[in-house]
Amino acid sequence: MLSSLRSGVQGLWRASSRALQTTANLQHDSLFVHRDTPEDNPSIPFEFTPENKKRAEALLAIYPEGHKRGAMIPLLDLAQRQNGGWLPISAMHKVAELLNLPRMRVYEVATFYTMFIRRPIGKYHVQVCTTTPCWLRGSDAVLNAIKEATGCEVGGNSPCGKFSVSEVECLGACVNAPMVQVNDDYYEDLSVEDTKEIIEKLKRDEKPKPGPRSGRYAAEPLGGLTSLNEEPTGPGYGLQEGLKA
Amino acid sequence: MFKALSATTRLSRTTLSRALPSFSTSSARLAIEDPFSKKEAPIIDNETVLALPEEIKEKTVHDATISVSTKVDVSPITGVPEEHIKTRRVRIYQQPKNAMQSGTSNIHHWEMEFDTRQRWENPLMGWTSTGDPLSNMKVQFATPDEAIEHCEKNGLIWYLDVPKVQKELKPKNYGLNFSWNRRTRVSTK
Amino acid sequence: MLRQPLSRALALSPSRVAPLGIRKFADQVQAQPDKIEVFIDDKPVYVPPGTTILQAAAQVGVEIPRFCYHERLAVAGNCRMCLVEVEKSPKPAAACAMPVMKGMRVKTDSDLTRKAREGVMEFLLVNHPLDCPICDQGGECDLQDQSMAFGSDKSRFTDIHFSGKRAVEDKDVGPLIKTIMTRCIHCTRCIRFASEVAGVDDFGTTGRGTEMQVGTYVEKMFLSELSGNIIDLCPVGALTSKPYSFAARPWETRRIDSVDVLDPLGSNIVVATRTNEVLRILPRTNEEINEEWLSDKSRFACDGLKRQRLVTPMLADSRGNLTPVEWEDAVVAAARALRDCPPDKLVAVAGELADAESLIALKDLFNRLGSENVCTEQYFPLEGAGTDLRSSYLLNTKIANVEDADFVLLIGTNVRFEAPLLNARIRKAFVHKETDIALIGPQVDLTYDYMHVGDSASVVKDLASGTSSHEVMKRLENAKRPVVILGADQLKTPEGAALLAYTQELALRLQDKLVDKEWKVLNVLQRTASQVAALDLGYRAGAGAQLAAARVVYLLGADAGLVTREALPKDCVVIYQGHHGDAGAAIADVVLPGAAYTEKRATYVNAEGRAQQTWPAVTPPGKAREDWKIIRALSEVVGSRLPYDNIDEVRTRLSEVSPALVAYGEVQDNNYFAQARMLSQSLQKPVSGKLDVQLKKLEDYFMTDSISRASPTMAKCVQAVLKQKQSPY
Repeated sequence: MLSSLRSGVQGLWRASSRALQTTANLQHDSLFVHRDTPEDNPSIPFEFTPENKKRAEALLAIYPEGHKRGAMIPLLDLAQRQNGGWLPISAMHKVAELLNLPRMRVYEVATFYTMFIRRPIGKYHVQVCTTTPCWLRGSDAVLNAIKEATGCEVGGNSPCGKFSVSEVECLGACVNAPMVQVNDDYYEDLSVEDTKEIIEKLKRDEKPKPGPRSGRYAAEPLGGLTSLNEEPTGPGYGLQEGLKA
Repeated sequence: MFKALSATTRLSRTTLSRALPSFSTSSARLAIEDPFSKKEAPIIDNETVLALPEEIKEKTVHDATISVSTKVDVSPITGVPEEHIKTRRVRIYQQPKNAMQSGTSNIHHWEMEFDTRQRWENPLMGWTSTGDPLSNMKVQFATPDEAIEHCEKNGLIWYLDVPKVQKELKPKNYGLNFSWNRRTRVSTK
Repeated sequence: MLRQPLSRALALSPSRVAPLGIRKFADQVQAQPDKIEVFIDDKPVYVPPGTTILQAAAQVGVEIPRFCYHERLAVAGNCRMCLVEVEKSPKPAAACAMPVMKGMRVKTDSDLTRKAREGVMEFLLVNHPLDCPICDQGGECDLQDQSMAFGSDKSRFTDIHFSGKRAVEDKDVGPLIKTIMTRCIHCTRCIRFASEVAGVDDFGTTGRGTEMQVGTYVEKMFLSELSGNIIDLCPVGALTSKPYSFAARPWETRRIDSVDVLDPLGSNIVVATRTNEVLRILPRTNEEINEEWLSDKSRFACDGLKRQRLVTPMLADSRGNLTPVEWEDAVVAAARALRDCPPDKLVAVAGELADAESLIALKDLFNRLGSENVCTEQYFPLEGAGTDLRSSYLLNTKIANVEDADFVLLIGTNVRFEAPLLNARIRKAFVHKETDIALIGPQVDLTYDYMHVGDSASVVKDLASGTSSHEVMKRLENAKRPVVILGADQLKTPEGAALLAYTQELALRLQDKLVDKEWKVLNVLQRTASQVAALDLGYRAGAGAQLAAARVVYLLGADAGLVTREALPKDCVVIYQGHHGDAGAAIADVVLPGAAYTEKRATYVNAEGRAQQTWPAVTPPGKAREDWKIIRALSEVVGSRLPYDNIDEVRTRLSEVSPALVAYGEVQDNNYFAQARMLSQSLQKPVSGKLDVQLKKLEDYFMTDSISRASPTMAKCVQAVLKQKQSPY
């Protein structure tokens, strides 16, 4: 996600003026100040659904009295899930209200963690890992395929509004590289075709089967076992004759 | 050159910093020879070395200078207009720390300054003009005693301004930020 | 030239020289843990265990460079500038957070230390713009100074890709603070100040890593009455003063130490001037009053000193319009009015910014003319002991001692806006000493939690008689160092006298039971800077009945709107002496232009009864003159010459009335509580009213006197606060 997004406005600015100073390599794909937009402003009410309210209560019950603020991250996550994958400012305000904290303290947490997304995103948030192991295994091609299939730039939303694509750092599935994460699911061992197929299915709102595409079950070797491939020996294996009972 | 100092002189010097009057009630002060101002050891002649203790005692009694408390006032010969000496007051103070900065360099001394007089913007260049030659005279001293002495010598009316009070040392503790049950627990961590 | 009483009063008493920490309360005297010896640059120093290296070094005069550490804020330990070498430690340690250990040897000037500092400096400067020439902090910048002292002599910063330094968007935090966030080095001092001292948790860090920024996340004004202090705290030029922006460099200004008069506390200030113009006001450290903070009104209202000023004497012409005249004409006109008036129809009213010198001169003049009608605008009950006993109208606990209180009861006062720095002290006690606070009066935001005991005066009565069943009663009874603060505004009401009597009763009942006999419980928080001096000098508190029959009214800066044309007889002559064209000048027939507090050497007595003096920073504008001199000149023309010709003689006269008025910087203990209580016993009548305060919200705070009402900055503040109230954040 720490890659170079240029929003349309900035692109325009850059085109029309001399590049006095470019901070491209330092630019983050999200803003760390809030801007009121029609989709995200404090006058849009946010309320936890009755089920989530129960969940919130359960979360709050975990933490001792006086230290309820420990529930901030779970609550923010709950709010984000309820709100279709992103966290509007009114949800942060709601959480601050629940925890009886100054709003700024919630803003701080919500901006610190990259998994809290503070702009409207598509239904499917496609996070492409481009860290070294995935990159070596062809994540660039995967990323390009996704961009092509969704019509979505990195850090942006697709024109249909269904997809958002971000580049992320290692998601811890290096053994199944390359991989993408769509919402909560990992799709691993991807080829360009697999990627296209996943996106197509998602476009039809079908859920592709998560996991490795190479036929593997998990992180086991691809071509079958190369070691430990015979029956485990029983007790007494290799023991000299004299010691056998 | 073995000069004895009169007991009164020494007393007035050492007790000055403790019982410091903040106002000069009279400008008469004792003639002081500062024992600490000597840079070298006094040279003692052979005669003194070889003399008997009684003789030395007798000699010192005869040699001792008797200091008469007289007013040392150089103001008539400094050429400073009387108006500046008679009507103005000198404030002896320690410069306050600049609130904008953390550092405390250049403020560990005492200063004297004269009361403010009119300044105006010079119509020619826009600089600040003043008709007061003493407005920029900020003399620095290591101790208030020195400043007082200087003022008295010059016949100036002075007053001491001591607003500074030391703060009690309260150990600061990083752990307080995270204390479990106190209000010092900061929300900004 | 100098008279004896004055010099005696000004004598440096031992208590003055002794550190503030000497005062210990009965239960605080406990066995101190043994001090441990540590060595800072081989200099031994004994400090209590738990002291940080940085503090220990300060004890021996070694100053360790720092950015994030601040004496009055929590330890953050994030700038790393204070890294020092500790012997036998493999890495340098952050001196601000590292507690000393027995026998620890710290090297603050070793190669390792210097290298560590150089490294930190280099990292800080990588993302700090080189805009010192256009930066307002230039010349008084910690980063500038420390990079000169500890930074590298050459740069390794080669931006061959022209990618630029980090750039951060500026924030809008109101009309007082200008932000240039690219300059921020993330010391978080402003965040800590806002959250710990100001009690307004609006600052924080958003984002992380290289994208981290200090700010408010949403667009929000810093809604605090102490906001200006973050300008001082900022070690770089990220937060600078908006009204002062691009006005001057620190080396071109002349700094004059003075005292603030816009609130009753008399905070110590430094007035920075150039070309006879006050450019800015900064706080001056005084542990006993303002520590090193200053409230926004005191700091930023100084541009009001340049506007709306009375620069020439004026007389009302035949059509009632004020027209400029010469001093002679004005003084003669005023003197004629005073001389021709029967003494019982002469009334003098002193306003909130009057200094002690002009107060005594005016009183002496009126007394010579045979009139006793000298009063102040602010009322104080005259029944019972009235204003005869100093203890009845002072902040007896003293500002600094409030920190040591364990229970504070506020009666009918919004301390936050009436005396912001006293509130900061209470908050400090609340945070660091677990002090609890209770409030009787309207519910206002005091920046800390408090118990609200209702807003009716009868609560005070119940507490005083001990019949209250409220939890506060128990807390007060059990408190070892309780403090009761009564707002002076409550005394204006008809029930004021009874309220004061009950408060005295309550406070003294508590005080009698205390183990610590030195502790004072009763406090009355005055609203204005002049009131205490005026009462000390024997002014009558409040002008009422006399005004209706007055023939000549002399207003000494009386701008609070108490004296109106409607309240006066038709043919009454109003003489106004003051520095601003405000309510007082508007109704005047004769206007005598006086000097504001930055323009005269004058005595002000703060709410604790501490006399302090202001020093002239600039000359009064136009034909304006120092106030006591105007009255002195007037007395000559009236024909009863006042017997003083220079300020020393006026002060000698002051000391004759009360030596406390010229004991500068000192405050005396008052001990006539029992007598005051006895005299007020008969006043304990039933009360039923509701307590109300004048300043409820932040927007009420900024414009309260003639100087701040004339200040455009203060007007902008009010507007900005009102606008912020509309915002959903």
